[in-house]
Amino acid sequence: MKGVKLSVFIFSLPWLLTFVMFWAFPLVYSFLIGFTDCTLHNFKFIPWENNWTGWNNYKDLFQDAAFLSSLKNTFIFVLGTIPVTTIIALLMALLVNRRFKGRAFFRAGYFLPSITSMVVVALIFTNLYQRGGYIALLLEAAGFSVPVNGFLYDSGTALFAIMAMDIWMSVGYYMLIFLAGLKAIPEELYEVAEINGASSLHRFRSITLPLLKPVALFILVINSIKSFQVFVEIFVMTKGKFDTSTMVYFIYDTGLATAFKFGYASAAAYVLFIIIAVFSAVQFILLKRKQPVW
Amino acid sequence: MVTVVKIGKLALHYGILIIVLILMVGPLLWMFRVSLLKVGESIAFNRLFNSSFTLSNFVDLFRNINMGRPLFNSLLVGGIVTAGNILFCFMTAYALARYKYIVNRFLFVSVILILMIPAHITIIPLYLLCLKTGIYNTYWALILPWLVNPIGIFLVKQYLETLPPSMEEAARVDGAGEFKILFKIVMPLCKPALAVLAIQVFFTNWNSFLFPYILVTNDTLYTLPVALAIFQGYQAIDWQHLMAGSVIAVIPVLVVFIFMQRHIISGITAGSVKQ
Repeated sequence: MKGVKLSVFIFSLPWLLTFVMFWAFPLVYSFLIGFTDCTLHNFKFIPWENNWTGWNNYKDLFQDAAFLSSLKNTFIFVLGTIPVTTIIALLMALLVNRRFKGRAFFRAGYFLPSITSMVVVALIFTNLYQRGGYIALLLEAAGFSVPVNGFLYDSGTALFAIMAMDIWMSVGYYMLIFLAGLKAIPEELYEVAEINGASSLHRFRSITLPLLKPVALFILVINSIKSFQVFVEIFVMTKGKFDTSTMVYFIYDTGLATAFKFGYASAAAYVLFIIIAVFSAVQFILLKRKQPVW
Repeated sequence: MVTVVKIGKLALHYGILIIVLILMVGPLLWMFRVSLLKVGESIAFNRLFNSSFTLSNFVDLFRNINMGRPLFNSLLVGGIVTAGNILFCFMTAYALARYKYIVNRFLFVSVILILMIPAHITIIPLYLLCLKTGIYNTYWALILPWLVNPIGIFLVKQYLETLPPSMEEAARVDGAGEFKILFKIVMPLCKPALAVLAIQVFFTNWNSFLFPYILVTNDTLYTLPVALAIFQGYQAIDWQHLMAGSVIAVIPVLVVFIFMQRHIISGITAGSVKQ
């Protein structure tokens, strides 16, 4: 059995190395330099050789208008997109859940945006949202007023335009997860309900919704972990201008693009980390609860 | 009367289906249309069909704009990372699924921890680490950190646990070495899970932007999404070429999707519905 023990160790070595090098180390390292004022100019790789400033970075962050606005935008993004995405995804799943001709075709079509690269999607929508772009034209034709410079170059609409795009892109993915959840509901439940004279709305409310609750919460958890990290669309579409900067954009911008404040940006990353952890923990507690929320 | 109501319902159902379909694929069709327009031609919605159709943008992409290199880089990095994940996720998953040693307890905890940690918060330390170790601005920075991932390990582990260990035990009694058992006996049995893993890893890698963007500044190392985002940044936006480049970035994913739809869908739903 000695040989087995050794080979188990060898089998898991690639992951152990990756874990230590590229996950554990960065996490610990950024926690440490989050307490220093290191920048590109005075940076030393050994964390404690840098100038130790205690909690100053964290204190400064919450007085930094740029950080606070990125915090606000991230929350608008997360709280604005997730409910809408989840509801639309559920409606789409119900729409293609029945058996009909062309079901696989429609399902594939709805899913297509989700497998497209975010950079490509962001480029397409930069075109569509610009002045004279076709979303602007359609909305104008429908009687809405469109900002003079297009949706992305206006502080009032830019973030919401990006959020709408994000919803468009991700509903197909969550639709598939809802479909798997719908498939797992035993057919007999509906049959019994029908025999007992329950209307279709009643069946939906008392069978479908409660039994989909675990799937819905799973979707909430993965979608919020993803949405709190929104970055690529901001980078491609507005570069954080027009009140669209988000937390990861702020981390990138202060850490690696303009100021190269490694310590300060690392502290911001930890604030984000804690927010996501708290959010996930709350959702996990809800997930564990047996009785339906609705 | 009953049939009229039935047909009406059916028509309504298909009506909604088609409207949603147009909304979902419309922007992608728009990308294809613009990529086929002559440079300099205006892109008016009402001239969608009687405007020009040309493939010259795609020719330019490789001749003048040099998108060939990013395409090659994306394929190379994507290929290596996918192969690495098939091998390493499988090995780790096997160790996790079949043995109960102390190292496994640590292994399991590490996988679960990383599953819940948002990757984007590590951009600063990863950048510094790559600088320090000298892999910054090399292919290694695009490959090394992504050769094995916790989600993949989890996926394969779940599949492995559905396989009975009797064949491995028989081989072990016959005196086969652990490596031989792993690669000759268990790996072929895991093909369905490894196919799902391969597609997921390839798609993620093919579409990833933030890490390739911050870990590489040399334009000969740009991947396709990075090259597209940077090309967009130049002066006035050249939509025809930009959309042609986007089409190039979408086509491999589209082809894999059309042929492997079943695997992709089972991969997405694998972790979500568990009884």
